[in-house]
Amino acid sequence: MPGYLSVASGDLAAVAPEILLSVAGILLILLDAFARPTRPSYPYLALATLALANVVGASAPGTWFAGAVETSALTRFVEMLSLGGAALAILGGGAALARDGKNQGEFYALLLWSAAGAMLMAKGTDLLVIFIGLELMSVPLYVLAAWYRELPASVEAGMKYFLMGAFASAILLYGVATLYGRTGTTRLPRLAGLATGVTTIPFDPLVAIGLVAILSALAFKLALVPFHSWAPDVYQGMTTPAVTFLSTVPKAAAAVVLVRVLHAVFPAGPGDPWRPLLGFLAILSILFGNIVALSQRDLKRMLAYSGIAQMGYLAIAFATFSRDALEGALVFLAGYLLTNAAAFLSIASLSSGETEPKTLADLAGLGKRNGSAAAILTLSMISLTGLPPTVGFIGKLLVFRAAVDSGLVALALVGVAGSLVSVGYYLRVVYVLWMKEPTREVPLHEDDVMAGAAWLLLAAGILLFGLFPRGLIDVARTAVQALALR
Amino acid sequence: MLTNLLNLDWTGADLLTTLIFLPTLGAVVLAFLPKESKWALQGTALAASGLTLAASILVALRFDPSTPGLTAFRVYRPWIPRFGIRYELGVDGLAVSLVLLTTLLTFCVLVVSCGQHLSRLKGYLAAFLVLETGMLGSLVALDTILFYVFWEVMLVPMYFIIGIWGGKRRIYAAMKFFLFTMAGSVLMFVAILFTANVHAKATGIQTFSVVEWTRAAASGAWHLPPGTEALLFGAFALAFLVKVPLWPLHTWLPDAHVEAPTGGSVILAGVLLKLGTYGLLRFAIPLFPSSAVRYTPLLALLSLIGVVYGAWVAFAQKDMKKLVAYSSVSHLALVVLGIFAGTAMAVSGAIVQMVGHGLTTGLLFLLVGVLYERRHTREMADYGGVAARVPVTTTLFIISALGSAGLPGLNGFVGEFLILGGVFQVNVVWSAVGALGMILGAVYLLTLIQKVFWGPDAVPENRALTDINGWELAGALPLIVLVVVLGVYPAPLLRLIGPSVDVVVQILRAKGIS
Repeated sequence: MPGYLSVASGDLAAVAPEILLSVAGILLILLDAFARPTRPSYPYLALATLALANVVGASAPGTWFAGAVETSALTRFVEMLSLGGAALAILGGGAALARDGKNQGEFYALLLWSAAGAMLMAKGTDLLVIFIGLELMSVPLYVLAAWYRELPASVEAGMKYFLMGAFASAILLYGVATLYGRTGTTRLPRLAGLATGVTTIPFDPLVAIGLVAILSALAFKLALVPFHSWAPDVYQGMTTPAVTFLSTVPKAAAAVVLVRVLHAVFPAGPGDPWRPLLGFLAILSILFGNIVALSQRDLKRMLAYSGIAQMGYLAIAFATFSRDALEGALVFLAGYLLTNAAAFLSIASLSSGETEPKTLADLAGLGKRNGSAAAILTLSMISLTGLPPTVGFIGKLLVFRAAVDSGLVALALVGVAGSLVSVGYYLRVVYVLWMKEPTREVPLHEDDVMAGAAWLLLAAGILLFGLFPRGLIDVARTAVQALALR
Repeated sequence: MLTNLLNLDWTGADLLTTLIFLPTLGAVVLAFLPKESKWALQGTALAASGLTLAASILVALRFDPSTPGLTAFRVYRPWIPRFGIRYELGVDGLAVSLVLLTTLLTFCVLVVSCGQHLSRLKGYLAAFLVLETGMLGSLVALDTILFYVFWEVMLVPMYFIIGIWGGKRRIYAAMKFFLFTMAGSVLMFVAILFTANVHAKATGIQTFSVVEWTRAAASGAWHLPPGTEALLFGAFALAFLVKVPLWPLHTWLPDAHVEAPTGGSVILAGVLLKLGTYGLLRFAIPLFPSSAVRYTPLLALLSLIGVVYGAWVAFAQKDMKKLVAYSSVSHLALVVLGIFAGTAMAVSGAIVQMVGHGLTTGLLFLLVGVLYERRHTREMADYGGVAARVPVTTTLFIISALGSAGLPGLNGFVGEFLILGGVFQVNVVWSAVGALGMILGAVYLLTLIQKVFWGPDAVPENRALTDINGWELAGALPLIVLVVVLGVYPAPLLRLIGPSVDVVVQILRAKGIS
């Protein structure tokens, strides 16, 4: 095929941020190997790289690499989420890692690479590009999961995530191969031809199998039930700053790819049996995630199940698949990123060595000792519950509104029922923070300026987008339009 | 965004915005004050709530009851324009009267708090100020999503107030309060979304404005199947009836009231419960009048059970706060009965009683709090014959209790009399059972007075009991004055709420109530 081998400058500009992050990652590793005393500067270098990538990333919309890569408002949205997510993990986690002497250059390199993968994945309009992006995103995360390699839990997390992640990748490849075998293409736009004349393709078993495989792999990254089982163990064993990234950015990228694939195959929106299938995933995730989270005493495990439920709310938007719903999904993802990052970073900042707060009881009385960390954690719990005036409420409002508008009242009802159940464990965190007496000495790290900056940004983001959501909604709207107009 | 804020006409057209957000501004200032400087904290909180009170009085003075509908002080700005969600505010007489009640009670609670010993004072004051924003916002918001936002904003500060400064079982009570209220309101949330969809389909206009919805409902523009309308009415009514709370949804209330600190109980009984009945009058009935009429017998039955049950259980209590809490169940049930009776007399009575109950029950909780602050017990058996030791408290308590029991000349009488008279026009039996509740009310309140203030002064611990202090008195006096004034001369209040009453009555009458 012509065009595969000739690379134009526009093509390079389209993936310039990915190139930048990858090169910067390599440089950080080299720097750590040959000039170790520079270590304290890595967070700043990584942040500067992310900022630069954000500037470079604002390239013109279009299709590149002969139609294998696309830049649009939608990819830009994922770009900003990925860069922002990585920046937050570095801002809030850098000091926590330095306290343990775990702030090697590789940590930052891996984060940058993973962010690059997430961005590339969202830009891919060829299933193989999507696969490469997914791998580039995931492999660094396998390493990050085992970052504290002397801790058994961390090694276990890395191993589990790697084995199951590899399995998911294989399934994805299998799906891609099946689709290719049936249609002769891996380009998403050409898959749309499959559905012309009919709104659904269950009639073609090969296409259906391929699609199910691809969706399953993406659902694995999203940790939707029944593809969720890795999440609690990985969250628990992984170092908290890395979980900040893991729990947000890959999910955003996977969600956008899922929307992209579904949109490519079903330009008019998925029909039966795909829509009920997605709705089923949503309901299962909401119910399972929320109910199991109720019985968790380990903080990060609880947040893992909470994340499963949150992705269930998001899946309501997939099942609805109207323009409003997708717009809501993007707003929900942005809000989820801010909120979840706030939760994990406030936990990370309370760590010292291996005494990082593990169970709910470890947080007891924190409101009295470290008011600002407790306040941020409280705010994020309120936002995760979906209570106004936070961005979490706005996300749920848009997603549920779209569902009701498309006649899927039952899904919205399951969604609010899940939110009600979630009060049980989100509010328990608030209760432990403010209404219990302290049981242990809580380390105070008041000199941590970067974490302070991250908190301020997150609190402002959660509240301001909750009070004045218009700008965020407009951005999401433009992003979704880019998808629909293609 | 910022320029928009600066361009607001804070004391004129945007007075309602000022009113809502002044308390939050106070809370933000509090957050930056050092927690050791008690006077600065109290001064800020008093200034914020005092200015809010002043703003609400300004609203009341400028408000012209003859303004049709909810157009007074109307604010109409886009918020999420994509879906027709607006920052829409406006008041009628009903809202104005409850706004006044809210600002006055909050101010009084904060004044009283200056005379109490409170741990973590900063958080306490801030929680009340944020709560005030939630309450005022709920009362003046005309966009249902905006209303929902303020409605939910009330939850978290009240959770903290009960959970941090409450009694022994505070955690249980706070959680129960939160879950009950939220269970009701999430269903209302879906109902709001559904109603907006119905409205958009019927009229082609995307809006969440209750004003436009009411218009559509009245003109029959949305053709809802009766089953759907009943479900929507049910979802709205459930959210509000949990808050009221109507029997059998009341079980959170005694727990919350008993465990809440004094200020929390006052606001809970004085304002939060009223928001339930306010919601019925503003949303549930005008939007779904047919269902409101159809389910009136059921709701009347539940109300009558509530009236008698609440009074009966109150009579059996040994704990003063629990007694007052159950009396609220009884009194509010009577208000619901008045609302659904649907005659002009009954509905006016219901609204007057909403204000009246806010004052008298607020006072009762406040004065029980005065005793508790000194003796750390609420058991009636731990008191007895303390009238001679605390003459001022006793006097105030007796006036409040008699006001609550509906003694002529005090405000409780006006409301109860109008409700019973209005209900009588509809159904004699309802009226008779309601009157029974009134009689029982006198029984348990007089028993309370007798057990606590009169009788033998036998408990030695009471010898050190001191009378109400200056701050507490300053907080209680304005309420006492209003109890008397509104009892003797309720005409201004009736004039204020008259048009709002007519609106509700006409809506119900159009759907077939006598």
